[in-house]
Amino acid sequence: MSDLNKLTIKEALTGLKAKKFTAKDLVVDCLSQIKKNAAKLNTFVTICEKEAIAAAETSDLSLPLGGIPFAVKDNFLMEGIRTTASSKVLDDYIAQYSSTFTSRLQAAGAIIIGKTNMDAWAHGSSTETSDYGPTKNPWNVDHLPGGSSGGSAAAVIANECIAAVGSETAGSIRQPASWCGVVGFKPTYGRCSRYGTVAMKSSTDSPGPITKTVDDAALVLSLVSGHDPHDATSINESAWQVPPVLKDLKKIKIGLPLAYFPKEIQPDVQKAILKSTEIFKKLGAEIIELPDVLDPKYSIAVYTILQRSEVSSNLNRFDGIRFGFDRSFFAQEAKRRIMLGTYSLSAGYYDAYYTKAQKVRTLICQDFDHQFSKVDAIIGPTSPCTALKLGASEGQAMFGELQDILLEPSSIAGLPGISIPCGFDSNKLPIGLQIICPQKREDIVYQLAKIFESNTDYHLKRPQL
Amino acid sequence: MSTVITDDQFKHIAHLSRLTIKSEESFIKDQLAQAAEYVEVLKELNTNNVIPTFQVNHKKNILREDVVTPSFTQQQAISQAPKTKNGYIVTTATIKK
Repeated sequence: MSDLNKLTIKEALTGLKAKKFTAKDLVVDCLSQIKKNAAKLNTFVTICEKEAIAAAETSDLSLPLGGIPFAVKDNFLMEGIRTTASSKVLDDYIAQYSSTFTSRLQAAGAIIIGKTNMDAWAHGSSTETSDYGPTKNPWNVDHLPGGSSGGSAAAVIANECIAAVGSETAGSIRQPASWCGVVGFKPTYGRCSRYGTVAMKSSTDSPGPITKTVDDAALVLSLVSGHDPHDATSINESAWQVPPVLKDLKKIKIGLPLAYFPKEIQPDVQKAILKSTEIFKKLGAEIIELPDVLDPKYSIAVYTILQRSEVSSNLNRFDGIRFGFDRSFFAQEAKRRIMLGTYSLSAGYYDAYYTKAQKVRTLICQDFDHQFSKVDAIIGPTSPCTALKLGASEGQAMFGELQDILLEPSSIAGLPGISIPCGFDSNKLPIGLQIICPQKREDIVYQLAKIFESNTDYHLKRPQL
Repeated sequence: MSTVITDDQFKHIAHLSRLTIKSEESFIKDQLAQAAEYVEVLKELNTNNVIPTFQVNHKKNILREDVVTPSFTQQQAISQAPKTKNGYIVTTATIKK
């Protein structure tokens, strides 16, 4: 058999159990797809060929993810494996321990085939700030994959893996999922452990799956979530369980925030989202316009201050003494962010910037509480546009922030959300629909995403490579 | 009113950040000022009597149990250090003789 790399997790598990192919066959097909596209797409920073083949040969198919090849964003530590976060500061760093997320994935039988490219330190929404060169969008290699988990999202749609792992601080799972036409599930803050991931903005960092289908994402989430004593902000609950599938959406109220349709929105994107709204309506949902959602422009400002502040603190540990290279290896984007954070935390400016932003964060959380008193879920475009061209982020100090305008509010409030494919623009680039729910309500996120996917076929489309 | 970051402030921020800014990167100064100006938009919102949110799932004072658990061996701990001597990590001097 060939082309096994094209399978979803569910399909691959079924084939493995029926002994139609082996875990090694799956791994080999994924690795050959990675190699075939390497020069064209640049999705991986490190390929773990030897380790993956060895793991496949001894894989336990009785496990829930037994024998399934995964791609992992290069900011997750895995003992004995190079972890760079796409920065030259960590060019030669071999992780001394493993992240909880990848340990749980491997304990569930997953095989990690490599570490994917990202914006260096996850600073960005393009994968263009990677010190290892940009990843290209498999739908059109002149375009960006989004970011910061751009390598993972591109690897999934290019069938270089069966599923992938990303991390989101404010859009870094959902935005690349949207631009690459795959599913990106960002859990509630604290649902999945941050232990062993390269810290970015610790107060919103949320690891999560990037997959070909909604069910695959839910399966992964059910296996890697749950309390972790190594992460003090981890939610004190056992693993999330996949809820039953809904037959219709009667009794479900879905909010449509008018503020999520800014005047700069690409018309194709607006059209696709409104068409998606009709699908939900046909399934029985009541669509309620939300005219008074807090303008997302405030979230950009809050995110900018808090992200820079936390980055300046988190990146302070990279001194080139205990591991990695010294601070002269930081590229421009990291320097800019560290400096703005240092400025906003410095004496005389702390209250005007940092404290003010944390207060507005309270207003953002209260605004969501208010909106969710009227609706069960909020939907909107994941990104105001489809994948931009290579070079779009260059020289723009706030490219990521402006790109992630529709994702920052929910990230700042720690809410769960998903981006699922909902159409294509006139250039055949994918469009993403986001679904946001209150904290810990991944069940509703899943149910809405699943029923939408079952009634559409956008998730089945693949680029010609 | 536009935000201005002076050369001295810029140098001070770079020093606090432990970063060396090359002359061709001096445009970062203007970008800092632009970002600082952008966030001025928050002034439009009244936050009197609003309590700041530092942590969204409201956890505080999480302490681990005071029990010994296995950790790195010395060898593991120093395995990634660029410079070691006799099982120690070599650092730059912080105190002058």
